This record gives sequence, C-alpha cells and structure tokens, in this order.
Amino acid sequence: MTPRALNASDRGAGPYLWRFTPLQRALHAMVIVSFFGLVITGLPLHFPHAGWARALIRVVGGLHAAGLIHRICAIITFAYFAIHLGTVTYGIVKSGNPKRFFWGPDSMVPQPKDVRDVIQMFKWFFGKGEQPRFDRFSYMEKFDYLGVFWGVAIIGASGLLLWFPEFFAKFLPGWAFNVATIVHGDEALLALSFIFTIHFFNVHLRPEKFPIDLVIFTGRTTTGYMQEEHPLEYERRRASGTLDALTAPPVSRAGYLWSIVLGFASLGLGVFLVILVIWALLH
Amino acid sequence: MFARSFARLAWLATATAALAVARPGAATAQGITCDKCHGNRDFLVGKGGPQGDSALYVPAGILQDTRHASLRCAQCHVGYDAGYPHRATSRVVPCSTCHAAEARDWEASIHAANAATTGDAPTCVGCHGSHTVYGAADRRSPTHSLNVAALCGRCHADPRITGTYFATADKTRARTAVAHFHKTVHGNALTRAGLVVSATCNDCHEAHKVLPADSTGSSVNRASIPATCGACHVGVAEAYDSSAHGDAYRTGGVTTTGHSAPVCVDCHSAHEIVRADQPQWLLGVVEECGTCHERLYETYFETYHGKVTRLGFNLAASCSDCHTPHNMRPASDTRSSVYAENLVATCGRCHSGANANFVRYQPHGDPKDRAKYPLLFWTWLFMTLLLVSVMAFFLLHTFLWLTRLAINRLRGGGSAHSETQP
Repeated sequence: MTPRALNASDRGAGPYLWRFTPLQRALHAMVIVSFFGLVITGLPLHFPHAGWARALIRVVGGLHAAGLIHRICAIITFAYFAIHLGTVTYGIVKSGNPKRFFWGPDSMVPQPKDVRDVIQMFKWFFGKGEQPRFDRFSYMEKFDYLGVFWGVAIIGASGLLLWFPEFFAKFLPGWAFNVATIVHGDEALLALSFIFTIHFFNVHLRPEKFPIDLVIFTGRTTTGYMQEEHPLEYERRRASGTLDALTAPPVSRAGYLWSIVLGFASLGLGVFLVILVIWALLH
Repeated sequence: MFARSFARLAWLATATAALAVARPGAATAQGITCDKCHGNRDFLVGKGGPQGDSALYVPAGILQDTRHASLRCAQCHVGYDAGYPHRATSRVVPCSTCHAAEARDWEASIHAANAATTGDAPTCVGCHGSHTVYGAADRRSPTHSLNVAALCGRCHADPRITGTYFATADKTRARTAVAHFHKTVHGNALTRAGLVVSATCNDCHEAHKVLPADSTGSSVNRASIPATCGACHVGVAEAYDSSAHGDAYRTGGVTTTGHSAPVCVDCHSAHEIVRADQPQWLLGVVEECGTCHERLYETYFETYHGKVTRLGFNLAASCSDCHTPHNMRPASDTRSSVYAENLVATCGRCHSGANANFVRYQPHGDPKDRAKYPLLFWTWLFMTLLLVSVMAFFLLHTFLWLTRLAINRLRGGGSAHSETQP
C-alpha cells in the first residue's frame, strides 16, 4: 500500500483531471499574496493597543512602509478583481452560452440545490441521512468566492475613501470617513477571521483533506478525489463524455514543491494571524 | 532697583575719590598696606587658625579685573583697617551694604533658613566666591549661565545634602534634578549648543530667593509658573493667556472639566522638558491631555488619527495639531481653532484641499456612543452582527462536522470517505 499523499488532491486513483485554469490559479495566488500584505499591515492599525502591534509594524519597516505595502496590495487586489470581472464578462459575451455563468452546475450563483445541500449537511451532522453530494462547486466554495467578491467591493470601496479623503470629500460628507473606517476594519476582520479558520478548515484541515489540498496551486486532482469531493460533476462529465478532455499530466516536481511551500507558509501565517487577533480581543 | 543703582552710584563716587589717593587694596586710611602682612606667607605661618594659613593669604592684585576692583579691603572687612593686631573679630562680610535687594531676596530663601540653622546652605560667597567676584556675565564666574548647573550641583547632586534637606518622597528627584536638567531642551541648549540665553537653574528658581515649589512665594510655585516661564517664552505666554486654560488659571484655577488649570509644567514637566517636536513628547502629551479630558482621550483612539498615534507614530494629528498647543478654546468660541468656521483652515493644515464637506469628519466619533453618533453606532452594530453571525454559523458548522466524523470513526464507519470509497 502506497503511503497517504501529503496533498489531498493527490490521493485516490488516477488519472489526473484539470480543475482550475492557470489564470484562476494565478488570480488565487494574487489573492493570497495581497491579502497577507493587507492583513499584516492593517491589523496593527485595527488593534493598536495590542502588545504585538508595534512589533508587527516594526517588522514590516515602520508605519510609512506599512502604508505603502497596504496600498500596493490594494492595487494588486483591484487588479485581480478587474481581471476576474473582465474574463467573466468576456466569457458571458463570447462563450455563446451566457446562461451557464448565472445558472447551473458551473455557476457560482447560489441555487436551490445549495440550500438543500446545507440542510442535508446538517441532517448528516445529526446522523440523519447521507452527506450531500456536490457538483463542481459546493455551497462552502460558493460562500468563499462570494465572500471575497463582497469583501473586495466593500473593503476596496471604503479603503479608496480613506486613501483619498480630500478627493471624496468633494461629494461626500466628512462622516462618511468615520463610517468607512468602521466598515473597512470590521469587514476586514471578518474576512481574515473567516479565511484563516473556516476556509482553512473546509479546504485543508478537515480530516478528509488534512494537512493540505494543493489543487488551487497545481490545478489538478486525481479522479478518485473528484469522485469524493465533486461526485456529481464527475458523473455528469462521464455521462456527457467530457471527462477525457480534462485529463491532465501529473504536476512537475518543481510545481509540486512550490505549491507545498506556498501552501504551508500560507496556512502557518494565517493561523498565526488569527492567534494575534484572538490575543488582541482578549486583552 | 532704583535704590540699588543709587547706592552703586554713591559708591562709585566715593571709590573714585579714594582712587585719587591710593590704589584699592593697597593702602588703608592709616597708610598701612594690608598686603604687607596678607601678601607674606612667612608672616602668616601659624596665624590662620583652624581654616589654615592660606585663608589669610590675599596678595595685592587679587581684586584686579573683578567687579570689586575699586573696593578697599576694609569696605568688606569692616574694622580691620584699625591697625594690627586687629581688634575687629567679625567674620561676617556685609555684602548687603551694597547689594541690599539681593540680600533681602536671599534672606527670604530656603538657603538663608538652612544657613542660619545648619550652616550647610550657601551664603553670598558660597556661590559668588570671596575675592574673585566677576559678575554673572563673566565666563570665569561660577554664576555664569554655563557654570550655574555645576555650581548648584555641588550641593544638589550630593546625596548627603539632598538626603538631609529634602522630604523622603523628593530625595531621589532632588538628587537627580541636575542630571535630568542636562537632558532637557534647556540643558542641551546650554551644554551642547552653548547657548547662554537658555534657561539654567536660577532662571526658573531665581538666583537669591530660592524656595521650594510648595512655598507660595516661590517662582516655581504653580501660581507663579506661567509668569516664570513666560519671562522667556513670551509668545507662548500670550497664547496661553488667551486660552481656556489661561482663563481658568486667572479666574481661580478650575477648568470646565473640574480640574485645576494646567500650567506649563503639567504638560512639559519641570526637569524632563524635551523638545516639543520629538515623538516621545508628542505621544506623551496625549496622555497628559487625557488626564483631564478622559472622554475625548478615549474617543480619539477610536479614530484613525488616534490609532496611528497609539501605534507610536507621530504621523497623524494628535491633540495639539487640531486644538493648538497653547491657544486651545472650546469649539463654541469663535477664536477656537475647532470653531466650525475655522475648521477648513485647521484641517487644511494637514489635508490640503479640505473643504466644508471634509470637515464634517468626526475626529472623536465613537461608534459605542449611540446618543451622540447614531450612524456610527448602527454601522458598527451591523458590522459586528454580520461578523458574529457568519463566524457563529460556520464555527458551528465546523464543530458539528468534526463531531460527526469523530462519531463515525468511533462506530468503526471510517472518518473520511477517502478511506471508505474505492
């Protein structure tokens, strides 16, 4: 028996199938890098009374450096948001099948099945019935995606207000900056609290996946993984004969190592930052 | 002052007349020169008593180029010009004959009181020297402003002196006062920049009428502080006088917050005075303001400005940036920097382009204060409920998931479908 693979999406029977495009993986990498930059430089300002706040600011090179990093990461955020909106819009216009972006198994839009899946999941929690079987995106993945969508819009807009207050005061009253400060900080706190606990658990740390799932970095999973995590998609594609088109080669050694490093570094850093938040909230 | 000048004039007249017949210090009315004996070490052997012979050794030219160059020995050593052996026995030198005002001030000082009882405290010669009195403007004088800290430090940095004469609570502060002074902006100006106009001990504590701060007549008593500091800091004193703090100071000392009116040293301290543009001071002064203005202090830290300051960076506005350092007045006062019509200018000092919209920012906006800031309160409540409900739902989701997997494993059903499916 072969040892259990470290990467959850390497476990189970082959062959490999594509799940994420290079662009999607690149955008997610941009999300990771920019989000960490934003959290590390923003967290001390949200909890300036915390014992670690001044130390963290020193680590990034002082307040001026922190402000600069925060703004650079904001630009990266706006960039991936714009690229994503652009590619989705392009897809809607050019694909000849705009409906599938808004409805159906390939859409990120929540649907009646997602509500049924949540109910089914809770039934399973209490020992009544089987675990729900997911298609391409589970309700948890949709929540992650829409959470980032909402978060970037809200945090991004309030952040712009605070970045250029003199400009926005041409058409907004000054108290809008008070509101923006609260919204920006609290929404960011929600984002990092959710991503570094719930997202990490759902995607990496739950026993089925532990310790890590590198599919967002490598872009591919084993057929066995697909059958467990996205059985409806697997069956749908096999029935329609579109499964073979997804066949992928195994990831290169270098690609795998990069994924391991980025994946574990992100996991560790995220958990560390959550500990800082809990520390600040308790003191 | 006039009396003193007059005394000096009278003196000059007498001295000039005396000069016509004799060099000062060289001859007495009887024609016997003092230095015949006092300039002769051999003659003085064994005559000095407990203070030693050299105490009596006073060579002829000793008063040359001192402020007392024109004086005769007997003008200070009264009665010693009546021949030898001296019949006069007084060792007291009557400086007050000429320096009446200084003598009166000294008589009122803590030094005089202690000198009378214990002899430790300085009399005139203790600070000014005996024969070589040069005047404070002379670099050689111990009372020159560059030498004063060392002069006072001779006693005030001495643990025996401070241990004897200061209350227990003040002993350490008293002993380190001179050392601290050297680190202040005043001390730095003197010792590093060599600025003789900078304040040294006597500028604040007075030269002769030295009194503890709790004496009402003291120049460093709270009641006298604005005048004492204002003697040099004229512009600041003007601003302070026209401020709400200055108003309270003049009208009995209680401010609208119910505290006694702050005077200079409350914010700037006394012996730890640092430059007001240093971060440590600007951050510390927020704490000072907060000791009376508790609510404004708390709400300031709810804002971006306050949070940056709390992080230890002097980059965002702190109290004095908006309220001015010395001329602070309530927002209802038309002269106030935070009066509605002055806000565009005040905010504009940092935020170029600030307009009427911009200054509707609430620099003390507290989202926990529902009555005063309802919009901030509801925003905060919505965001908090959103955070709490999302996290509560998914943490429950996670907890139940783990529990179900644990139960399945205990029942031998396998925890993860990766291990149960082919």
